[in-house]
Amino acid sequence: MLSHSRCLTRNFGRSLSVIRQGNNAFARRATAVLSACHPVTLNNNVPYNPGSSVFQIQYFRTSVAYRDEVVTVKTPAFAESVTEGDVRWEKAVGDTVSEDEVVCEIETDKTSVQVPSPAAGVIEELLVPDGGKVEGGTPLFKLKKGAGAAKAPEAPKVEAPAVAAPPPPSAAPTPPPSSTVGPIPTTLPPVPPVPAHAMDTKPVSAIKPTAAPAAPAAHAEGGAKSARTESRVKMNRMRLRIAQRLKEAQNTCAMLTTFNEVDMSNITEMRKAYKDAFLKKHNIKLGFMSAFVKAAAHALVDQPAVNAVIDDTTKEIVYREYVDISVAVATPKGLVVPVIRNVEEMNFADIEKAINLLGEKARKNELAVEDMDGGTFTISNGGVFGSMFGTPIINPPQSAILGMHGIFDRPVAIGGKVEIRPMMYVALTYDHRLVDGREAVTFLRKIKSVVEDPRVLLLDM
Amino acid sequence: MLLQLRRLRPLRTGVQQARSTSSCLFPDPSTTTSGSGLVLQSQSTDVFQNLALEDWIDAHVDLQRRAVLLLWRNRPAVVVGRHQNPWTECNLPAMRRAGVPLARRRSGGGTVYHDLGNLNLTFFASRKAYDRQRNLKVVTDALRRVRPELDVRATDRFDILLNGHYKISGTASRLSRKSSYHHCTLLHSADRAALSSLLRPSCPGIQSNATPSVPSPVANLTDHAPSLHWEELLEALAQQYNSEFGFEAAPRPVDPSDEALFPGVGSMEAALRSWEWTFGKTPKFRLDTRLELRDEQLGARCGAGLHVEVKNGLVESCRVDVPDDWLPPRLSGALGELLLGERFCPHRAAAALTALLRCESGQPHRRLQNLGEVLLAGMG
Repeated sequence: MLSHSRCLTRNFGRSLSVIRQGNNAFARRATAVLSACHPVTLNNNVPYNPGSSVFQIQYFRTSVAYRDEVVTVKTPAFAESVTEGDVRWEKAVGDTVSEDEVVCEIETDKTSVQVPSPAAGVIEELLVPDGGKVEGGTPLFKLKKGAGAAKAPEAPKVEAPAVAAPPPPSAAPTPPPSSTVGPIPTTLPPVPPVPAHAMDTKPVSAIKPTAAPAAPAAHAEGGAKSARTESRVKMNRMRLRIAQRLKEAQNTCAMLTTFNEVDMSNITEMRKAYKDAFLKKHNIKLGFMSAFVKAAAHALVDQPAVNAVIDDTTKEIVYREYVDISVAVATPKGLVVPVIRNVEEMNFADIEKAINLLGEKARKNELAVEDMDGGTFTISNGGVFGSMFGTPIINPPQSAILGMHGIFDRPVAIGGKVEIRPMMYVALTYDHRLVDGREAVTFLRKIKSVVEDPRVLLLDM
Repeated sequence: MLLQLRRLRPLRTGVQQARSTSSCLFPDPSTTTSGSGLVLQSQSTDVFQNLALEDWIDAHVDLQRRAVLLLWRNRPAVVVGRHQNPWTECNLPAMRRAGVPLARRRSGGGTVYHDLGNLNLTFFASRKAYDRQRNLKVVTDALRRVRPELDVRATDRFDILLNGHYKISGTASRLSRKSSYHHCTLLHSADRAALSSLLRPSCPGIQSNATPSVPSPVANLTDHAPSLHWEELLEALAQQYNSEFGFEAAPRPVDPSDEALFPGVGSMEAALRSWEWTFGKTPKFRLDTRLELRDEQLGARCGAGLHVEVKNGLVESCRVDVPDDWLPPRLSGALGELLLGERFCPHRAAAALTALLRCESGQPHRRLQNLGEVLLAGMG
């Protein structure tokens, strides 16, 4: 790329002296670029063709002449007559670092001293174990100078805009360009230079560690070609275990799903009419979950087969007298399934309180094992994410799961006329080894009838 | 006093701040009458916002030409040093129950309990001008001026002792290539009962080479000088700072969440709140402890061993040694395996455990559940 920016012309002079002093092989390497606007006589072996964009030498800050040099970085002298400190490594062997990026911190007597890298390169060896004691002058680590492959194309890109825009003389506290790569410890993406665009808004935890930590910033800034790399992340044990269990469930249960739709107008109206009074009396909000949970409990008592489970090891059907409903909740930390116990004895208010309590515990990271263990039936609400229709998968060791979906206004036929009603599709996935089609459909219809008209509960219909 | 009059002035500079550039807050030292010193008072009591503000000032203000004093205080929180282990330093379950958050600061040193009765002072200076004893002299001189009867002295370890025995201030600092900051606490009227109950280990049996805290008996200033008010203390400190360093800066209120004044502070705050920073930065450690298992239904008991290695807050290895007759080895092995790679956190472990429990019933289920509960309690 022919660039007339000052940085290249300034560096050009230095590059020229390097080429003159150094080895001719450099000039021939593809990584070299010369600005064509300065016709100069080079070493004889290097053909020079002004105007040709093919033959270009680009001078990198990490000069080719220094490649492969390994430097040993020593512990800096400590302030105020402190003699020794503990080393805490931020980087590991093989990590690529840029100039001034923090490699380790030394903790001395309540002070944390940062040790930056003197140049860009790759960490070759750590000479002190993590937590080891060092004194001023103790060798700390070995750095192999020279930009790592991934960082090489980015170095001039980041350098050029930082240097080409002259440092503002105004009162604004602009950080010096070198501090863009590491004023903050290295787990954060580097702060872009102040004149550039706004900080990227991704939360830090969402950023996956990659080999070249500057890569995301450089891509965002330069609009470089998209990388076609892959990254492999090992599946953690819990995910493996859940996957295994789900497949087992699929293989043993004869799973199929029956659907129905629920007219939510009555329950919506009931909620609207009573929500303020409910909030005042019970101090929690009245939602829809309590209606579905209670409806499910009523139907489960009515159809004990759906509340039962097949014990494959003893080939028995286990009928349970109690109804414990697991409610699937998506938290930022992953899916948790807390259980509401003995729902058959609860009313709407009790259910709301139980759900609220479990929600609080989940938020405060206090969910204990007994909160999540067991359960005879699960309810999963895909509607909160906008799902319209879907087949939930049974959560072993249970026999059925109710999937709630989103409430959408739909035209329906009521008494021969078309009316718009808020409708929700509900799905019941069940184990056909235990529950017959007729039982499953009746079960779902019972849930529908309770939610469409809660008075059914009072009349025990 | 001249300084008191000046204190009213911030209203005018507040209008300037509405122009939304941080250059107004940190003008060129040669152009202002306050010289090259600045005294800031944070209006926030959120520990993460205040720590983010410290980071911002350290990263963005040119400390070669000016010095800054930041005065701040937090709602109840526990703050551990950069290289400490939260599980050994503070009682995490008690903090969760009390709603007290945990923060990890970037400077070294030990664990402290912050609340609204504790004043924090941060002295920002260039690396060359870093002088902790001089900063502490500001504090002791200020205290002596307002309450000459108090015996306050700074020690070699940069603590400030009252009556030669009670610690009223602890210090920590951070040195970067060109800049430095030194911050210290000052116990004015903190809740000592909460302090002692929260600053104890969460679980026994941890071995690590993380920086340990050195516990000391503490006292509040108000225990010995009940008439000393918060505002009086702040004013004395600001005044002493000015006279020690030759500045004329009036304390200015700042809002650490103001992105316009401090661009990028929001993401610094988010980083400080993240689990990866607070817990993930714990140096590698081992947990070796004995668990007491019991089977309520049969009235039986058993002892088991738990051996966990944690690196970067994630479980690197986990072994549960349970006698074979108590629980089938495949179950205790599966439990150990399940926790691998998970965060060393009871919430995650509980979720993992329930996934395992779903497969079992009867006696194995009961005993596995008990093992799980005891294990979680052992993890804090």
